[in-house]
Amino acid sequence: MTNPKPARADADLKRTLAEFSVPSERGNERLAMDTVAEAVKDLDIHGENLERLKTAVAEATMNAMEHGNNYRAESPVLIEVSASYTQLSVKITDEGSGPPAFHAETPDLEAKLEGMQTPLGWGLFLIKSMVDDMDVTGDEHHHTVELILHLDGQAEGGK
Amino acid sequence: MAVRHLNVEVRLEPNVAVLDMMGEINGFAEEALNTAYAEADAKDTKTILLNFEGVDYINSTGIALIVGLLAKARASHKRLLACNLSDHYVEIFQITRLSDFMSVLPDEQSALIEASVS
Repeated sequence: MTNPKPARADADLKRTLAEFSVPSERGNERLAMDTVAEAVKDLDIHGENLERLKTAVAEATMNAMEHGNNYRAESPVLIEVSASYTQLSVKITDEGSGPPAFHAETPDLEAKLEGMQTPLGWGLFLIKSMVDDMDVTGDEHHHTVELILHLDGQAEGGK
Repeated sequence: MAVRHLNVEVRLEPNVAVLDMMGEINGFAEEALNTAYAEADAKDTKTILLNFEGVDYINSTGIALIVGLLAKARASHKRLLACNLSDHYVEIFQITRLSDFMSVLPDEQSALIEASVS
């Protein structure tokens, strides 16, 4: 993992809290989620809200490592954490091309128990359930998933 | 950060086979979880209890593994219970609807009582 860079203030009042990367190796989603949790420790995100953010970061990072980078360790997943006065953003970027891959099917537990759906495919569902908003972009070189949490005037840099 | 691979121990309580899980429930956990479930299933109880007390991380692949256990339990007409989940994972069991199909109890004692009265 590259070391998180120290925070810097952007002219547009958005404050970068951390930028780092993790190699695309199984299990590194925990490293990503713990590093993000450390980066937001000065914001008022605690308890269940922090756990929800961590789960969303872990699932998006897993998806990036697996589907974007095919678990090639030499292909890093880049993570940028920033906050304004009203919003926390975590951007997770892989080296995939084309539309980002998620299981498109909405998970239906009853169908899974009956063998009509694969037991897998919970990642996108969990992410959407854990954050206020999510934005997915992609081009021929990268996919980026942006996770957004609405804040109530917590970030220092936004005022 | 090293992955905490799942370790599962199986024990028998009156009418309940208990899986004591320690570590992370993720893609690495499949063999440990399925082997332990098969051992618990062989104890021929009507109820199998998943004890999450030693589990601090479950990802979407882990959720899929638990769905697989639930499918096995339903196929063999056994009841699957869960206990000692953190508040966060209780929420995840609710939003995935796992808790609609397996009772989630706060602790082992509650789970054993639940198993004995139903």
